[in-house]
Order: sequence, then structure tokens, then C-alpha cells
Amino acid sequence: MKKKLLSALLATAMTATLLAGCGSKPAETTAPDAASTEAATEAGEDTAAAPTGEAVTLKTVSMFGGTDPNASVYEEIIAKFQEENPNVTVEDSSAVADNECKASVVADFSVGNEPDVLQFFTDAQATNLVATDKLVSIEEIRAEYPDYAKDTLETALAGVTNTDGVQRAVPTTGFSEVLYCNKDLFDQYGLELPTDWDSLTTAVTTFKENGIIPIAVSLNNIPHYWIEACILYSAGLDSYQSLPETAPAEWVAGLETFKTLRDMGAFPEDTDTVDNDYVGELFKSKQAAMQLDGTWYAGGIEDKENTVAVAFPGVANQKAEAGTITSGFSSGFYITRKAWDDPAKRDAAVKFVMAQTSKEAVSAYWAKGGFVNKCATEVSTTETLTPLAQSIADVNAAAGNNFAGPIDSRMDAEAFTNIVNSICDISTGSASAEDVLNDALALSASRVAAE
Amino acid sequence: MLYKKKWPLLIFVLPGILFMLIFLYIPFIENIKNSFYDMTSIVSMPGLEPKYIGIDNYKTLFTDPKVKIAILNSLKMMVLTVVFEVGLGFILAVLVSNIKRGAQIFRTVYFFPVVISATALGLLFKLFYNYNGGMLNQLLASFGKEPVNWLKPELAFIMVCIPTLWSYVGFYFVIMLTGLSDISDDIYEAADIDGCSKFKQVFYITLPMMKTVICTCITLALTGALKVFDLPWVMVPKGAPQGLTHFLGTYMYQSTFGVNNFDYGSTIAIMIVVLGVVVSKVVNLMIKERD
Repeated sequence: MKKKLLSALLATAMTATLLAGCGSKPAETTAPDAASTEAATEAGEDTAAAPTGEAVTLKTVSMFGGTDPNASVYEEIIAKFQEENPNVTVEDSSAVADNECKASVVADFSVGNEPDVLQFFTDAQATNLVATDKLVSIEEIRAEYPDYAKDTLETALAGVTNTDGVQRAVPTTGFSEVLYCNKDLFDQYGLELPTDWDSLTTAVTTFKENGIIPIAVSLNNIPHYWIEACILYSAGLDSYQSLPETAPAEWVAGLETFKTLRDMGAFPEDTDTVDNDYVGELFKSKQAAMQLDGTWYAGGIEDKENTVAVAFPGVANQKAEAGTITSGFSSGFYITRKAWDDPAKRDAAVKFVMAQTSKEAVSAYWAKGGFVNKCATEVSTTETLTPLAQSIADVNAAAGNNFAGPIDSRMDAEAFTNIVNSICDISTGSASAEDVLNDALALSASRVAAE
Repeated sequence: MLYKKKWPLLIFVLPGILFMLIFLYIPFIENIKNSFYDMTSIVSMPGLEPKYIGIDNYKTLFTDPKVKIAILNSLKMMVLTVVFEVGLGFILAVLVSNIKRGAQIFRTVYFFPVVISATALGLLFKLFYNYNGGMLNQLLASFGKEPVNWLKPELAFIMVCIPTLWSYVGFYFVIMLTGLSDISDDIYEAADIDGCSKFKQVFYITLPMMKTVICTCITLALTGALKVFDLPWVMVPKGAPQGLTHFLGTYMYQSTFGVNNFDYGSTIAIMIVVLGVVVSKVVNLMIKERD
């Protein structure tokens, strides 16, 4: 009898252990935060019909987490917001914008666990979220809150229009893609900063002859900026902004620039195997002369006196005007339907987004980024800019209206990744740029048709 | 009497069955289903139904040059694991079992790489192979030689195989050593008295008596070669250079989480399972035939 009882107890214990992980509510001992979150959320739901001023818990998710330079500004704004709105408790789950973060946001939306306010991508990477119809449009919000996003420039709002043509997000800062140059190396070898294809090839040849890596880029990791720049300059602004059904000859010629540059020895010897951080170090340590990257990269450059940014110099037989840049806004703050339909949370969510996207907030984000990023509101500073920051400001000013968002903001993510992954092969000549582009455009078109 | 009633046994087996069902069989069936759909997201999104594409992924599988590279590399890795991991493990075990002093030190030294995480080893070798200031090129520089791109297309596969194979020699070494300890010393003593040399003892006593252990090691090595992933992924992500160092595991991961082509990743995963089953069946058949 005792044996039977013991057997039954052991079996029950084993089954209970196995099923413990299947529960929908996390155990209090292992995840007290999650439990308290749920309790707080339930409390919020109970007060759904309560008037504004009662306790509200706002669940927020952003990409300003971890090591992101904007994280501290974001948190300061949250702290100030909670001070001004003592009835609102912000429960934030921010993370760095990596694949894990994106997958987590998508998973939350798929199971109905989306946050109340989300700071996320607005381009093709948000297509899945947009399809769920869980994000509220600015038009709908403005019908009730006419001052919503009042500081934000209309051009910036237009820049974050989702792929279905609806504006839902409010941006803070954007980016431009510029060519960083180690000016001291250019001076040392008597070279002018590159302004066109000829001066670029002269610089590449001279640096190569003198044992300096001309262009720091990892073709195996992040050749994205070069893809964008080569196609933009080869095809011109109008063609670049379209998403053709088959690859135009200019797009093909743009990608073939990779082979031309590789044959000239423009890239590091190990460009096929190293990552972007590594080539970044080559540039910062003056082993490489040029690097094409976004304006966010400027913050990590220590020598801001001898490093300057110029617009992408160009490619052979280019159609784009000199000074044209890839630039835009790719993320912004959304309010979800979940928060909007909850009378207790609606007001808090609107106030939160307005706090994060006001002129004051955008100025803080701009200052934290070293005064180099594009801003969604009017900004100004009395501080003296470093030569690097000033050169980026000059590039943006010189571009005027000659800018466009990157191709990957229009093209299906999988299709664009296929182009990125084929760059090594295109640069060696083992893959045809035309085939790669045609396959990617066809895939992207089929996905759009399916939607 | 204890096993007269079978139902209590079922209760003990049930948790294991449930575990396997939830975390292995259901996901596997789901995986098969996914391979027939064009999935734009890893999870099912409301308002975005995956499109049925039939056997398109399987057609792509047979024409994809990267799959061909991955299969070839995995097959090469199978041969190399048998030769270098099992073979070297056996030789080292025989040598260590024949020494009187310091056997414990050798056991620790040879087994040590097994306990280091593959990620750390990958990073370590990545630093060794670095073109700019890597350890090997620093050594070459000290002799006045030009640096070598150790991960250039012609060398990359070999350079990736070296740490992958080296890191697991100790595992088979320990298994072999355990097998050797089961062989009675009396047999070796008798062989000594009969004038059999140490070298001949290995061929005529050790090898035949270790047959079952060696067969187990070969099965483990062959199926393990199909699962190679972490170390190559850290050293040469995305099958660098130019996709030449892809193994089935790395290509599946790259397709699924790098390209977000979840359905094609599922198709490769099914191919890995089928290959794994076929390889283990073939090995079992070969072993049985020999028996």
C-alpha cells in the first residue's frame, strides 16, 4: 500500500513538474514582475469606465533599450511624465532593435499581448503589425486630440507613412547615410575628399598603393549602405524611389559597382568573413580611409576633429545629382487599438506619445545623438558643433530635397535580405546582379500582391 | 509480482511521452506543415494568412547551390569526424592507457576542450585567424612573412574544420578509455608472454574487443556531424566566405533567422532529419552485417 502511495505521489510530482511550464500565468516565485504586471493590467481593465485621473498602468515597448544611445533620454522623459501624471504607472519593456526584439514584438501582437504604446519601425518591417489592424491612425487620434503630434513636421510624418499608405506613427529622429572620411589620411597622401566617381577611384588607388584599406566594409555582414548608395546614384532618385517589377539596367549597373571596387582592391582583404564592428574599428583606428554608414555611427567616432562626412561621391555613369543622399525616418511611436479602446488608458497613451515626441523631447534625442541625426521637429542649438557634426549638417543641408528613404523600407524584408546575402557573390562575379535583383523584386511583388 | 500490473508503469512514462509530444513531435509536424506555406512571420499573425505554395520549397531545395555546398560540407565533415575525432580519440586512449604515470593529466588535458563552450572556442579561433593582427599572422610577421588570409575561399573549410574536430577529440577519447578499461589485463599479459608486441596487441586484442565501443562512437560522430552549428557560426557566420563553409545546420539557421524565410528553413530542417535517419540506419546496417 505504501509503495503504491509513493508511486502515485512520484508520478503526480513528475507530471506537475512537466506541466508547470505550460501555465499561462508565470509562477510568482520565478517571475514576480510578470505577475505584478498582470495584476496591474487587470486593475486597469477594471477601471475601464473610470474617469481620467484614476490609476492607470501603461504598458510601453520601445527600441530605446540596452545600449541604445537614446535609452537614457527615453527613460528621463518617462520619469518626468510619471511625475507630471502621478496616476499613470509606466511599465516599460525596451530592448535594442535587434532580431530578438522584432520577433518579440511580432509574437506579442500575434497572441493579443501587444503593449499600449509601441516605438517601432514604420517601413516594410512593420507590415506584419500593420496587417493586424491593431495600430491607431493619426487621423483617428487627431479627430479627438487635435493637438496630437503638433510639433512634428508634416514632412517627417509623411516619412513614416506605413506601407499601406496610412500614417500611424509619430517619429522623433531620423538618419542620413553619409561617407565618413579620415581627413588626416587624405591630407597625408595629398588627396581631395571624394566628390565624384573619379576622385573616389583616385583615392582608392592611392590608399591601396600605400597599404591603407580604402573602404571599410563587411560584404558578409552590413553592405546595406553601399547597396543603397550604388543603386541610388546609378539609377537616379526617381527610379530609386520606385519598386520596379524587373531590374532596370541602372540598378544592375549600380550593384555591379561592387565588382569594380573589389577588383580595384577597395575593400579589406577579409571583407567576406569579418563583421561590421570589426571594419568599424579599422576605420576608427585609421587603418581604413572611408566608411559609408548612417548618422548614428558618428556618436562612436572618437576623433571628431579629423573625421568628416561627405555625401556619397557617386558611381560611373550616374544619374543622380551630386549630393543626393539616402535619408529619412524609419521608426516612430504608435498607439495600439488596445489602449485607444480603453477609456482609462486612451488619454494616458496620447499624453505619453506627445511627451516623447514634443519639440523638447526631440531636441534631447538630437543632443544625445551628437546633433547629427535628422529631426522630426524644428530644433536649434547654441552649442558649437564638432567638425564631424558640422560636416553632417552640411551634407543634409546640401542635399535639400534630393533625398529618399532606403530601398529596404519599401521592399519586402526577405527579398532585400536575399540581395544583401548575394553581395559577396556579386562582388566576385559568381552571381549575376540582374538575376539577384529580378528574384528579389519578384518575391517582393508577390508578397505585396498576397497582402 | 512487481510488474504484474502494468498501468502504474504507464503513469511514470506519461510525463516523458507528454514532453516528447509537446516539444518534439507536434513542432515537427508543424514544421512539415510550414514547409508547404509561404510564411512571412514566425508566428501566425491575425489578418495575415500564410499562402499555400505546395512543393515549391522542395523544388528550390534541389536547385539551391548553397544546399549542395551544405550537404557536401556535412558529408565531408562526417568522414573527417570518423577519421580525426574517433580515430585520434582511439589512438590517444590506447597511448594513455599504456602509460604508468601522468595518465590523469592527459585525461584532463584531452578532455578540456569538450567543456569549453563552442562559442568561446569559435571566438578564440576567430582571433587566431584574424587577418589584421591575428595570432597566426603575428607569428608570420615575426618571421618577416606577409600576412595570410586564413579564411580565404581556398582555406576556409579546412580552417573551420580544425577547431570543430579538435574540440571533440576528447569526448571520444574518454569513451574509448572507458572501453579499454573493460578489457582484462590478463589477455595483454598472456599476449606479452607469447611474445606479441604492443603494436600487434592493439590490432589483435584491443581493436576486436573494442568493436562495439568504436561502432557506437562512429554512430555518434556521424549523426553529430549533421548537427554541426555553433562553432562554425561564430567563426564564419553566414557560411563566410561566399557561403562556402555552410553546413546543413548553419544554412538552416541562416535561412530561418537570417533571411526570415521560415518556410524554407523548415524544409531544410526536414531534410536534416531525413538525412540523419538515413545515415544512422545505414551505419546500423553496416555494423549488423559485420557482426
